[in-house]
Amino acid sequence: MSSRILPDFDLLLPQSVAEAVELLSTHRDRITVMAGGTDVMVAMKFAQSPAQLMSLENVPGLAYVLFDPEKGLRIGAKATVADLLAQAEVKRHYRALWHAAQTFATGQVRNTATVLGNLLRASPAGDCSCAIYAIGGVVVLQGSSGRREVGIDDFWLSYGVTARRPDELAVELILPPPAAGSRSAFKRMTRVSEDLAKLNVAVRLEMSGNTCIDARLAMGCVAPTPLRLTRTEALLKGRELTAEVLQRVAASVPGEISPIDDKRSTAEYRKQVSGVLLRRAIQEACGAA
Amino acid sequence: MKNRDITLHINGEEYRLNVAVNRTLLDVLRDELGMTETKYGCGTGECGACTVLVEDKAINSCLTLAATMDGKRITTAAGRADFGRLDHIQQAFVDEAAIQCGYCTPGMVMKTASLLAKNPDPSEAEIRHALEGNICRCTGYEKIVKAVKKAAQTMPGRAAVAERCKEAVQ
Repeated sequence: MSSRILPDFDLLLPQSVAEAVELLSTHRDRITVMAGGTDVMVAMKFAQSPAQLMSLENVPGLAYVLFDPEKGLRIGAKATVADLLAQAEVKRHYRALWHAAQTFATGQVRNTATVLGNLLRASPAGDCSCAIYAIGGVVVLQGSSGRREVGIDDFWLSYGVTARRPDELAVELILPPPAAGSRSAFKRMTRVSEDLAKLNVAVRLEMSGNTCIDARLAMGCVAPTPLRLTRTEALLKGRELTAEVLQRVAASVPGEISPIDDKRSTAEYRKQVSGVLLRRAIQEACGAA
Repeated sequence: MKNRDITLHINGEEYRLNVAVNRTLLDVLRDELGMTETKYGCGTGECGACTVLVEDKAINSCLTLAATMDGKRITTAAGRADFGRLDHIQQAFVDEAAIQCGYCTPGMVMKTASLLAKNPDPSEAEIRHALEGNICRCTGYEKIVKAVKKAAQTMPGRAAVAERCKEAVQ
């Protein structure tokens, strides 16, 4: 296949969310939806030949990033990674997501790629996906029979597959409001900075002093989808974050992941460094690193 | 639809075109309009040779469908020169000898333009972060970083731009 020539397809340019949903319910599985297009365009050059490509270019009102201290952060389907970085509240209250967005791909891709697109690609390596998994949130899906919300914990079904039905359009992502004592961090390992991650990790901790009340730990590139480390989370809850606890937490990670060998790294290496990277992310979230 | 009528505003000129929907913006610039200053490198958004500004934002034209660019303002590297007179960024690349084969240079110039528009006085770390999406296989980047620094220092109306950016941050 060539990186120069795009396959033949029919372009659909709906003018509203309602029209987009109607097109999706008419054409079902034959439609590929494109917002920024940084994933879809590459996929079309090498693998996929969709009969119909639906661009959201002309759909108005979806490029927002809105923060409300009571309701949380709303990210519209057309909001780019750069749009997210332009919001001071993201840096202040959603540190893991801000850091993931800042190191995401390249400036050119950040100006085009959407945050929701990163979730919908359902890649285990997605940086924003990893951070959002740790922070928690819901994806709002608009179908012909109405709206529904799917929690991020139930959103990825397998590699490249999400809970979005063929007749639904993902319209927004809602992240929970920041809580006092809540803190987060993101870390990734790559060969050079614009590469996809060989390993990424995000943590969200609810702290009371040095005691962890609750924890959400997410890791990427270690399973077919982004992974939550629930057994390791249990080791943190209710514990004071001493060096011994962090040592036990780090030691628990390799047993909870199932990485593979690929061109970016090996399963063995990923297992070796996974616990260390998680421990560093916890220390960074707590301001100790 | 298989074809679409679009209007592009490229380097201040209006172009009314009928484009096949599976043509990228890069295809249209190079093959249909003969504007070959924008380069084809990888075709997958990794090398930055095809960087142009769309509404003043740097993007990869190889990952952009021309049919979705109707009404957009596009700037290429040639749009920065005034009747063959190089602008301060292009001149800085020449002065610092930041060019060997030159294939990455138009993309580097456009990325620099978008950086300096937002941040007229970037640190070396900020320059390197901004240029992550532009690959050069000849120079080793040192001279390119120097050229970006020089372009920042020689930017016309530098003081006024710096003041405006400071106000925007506050």
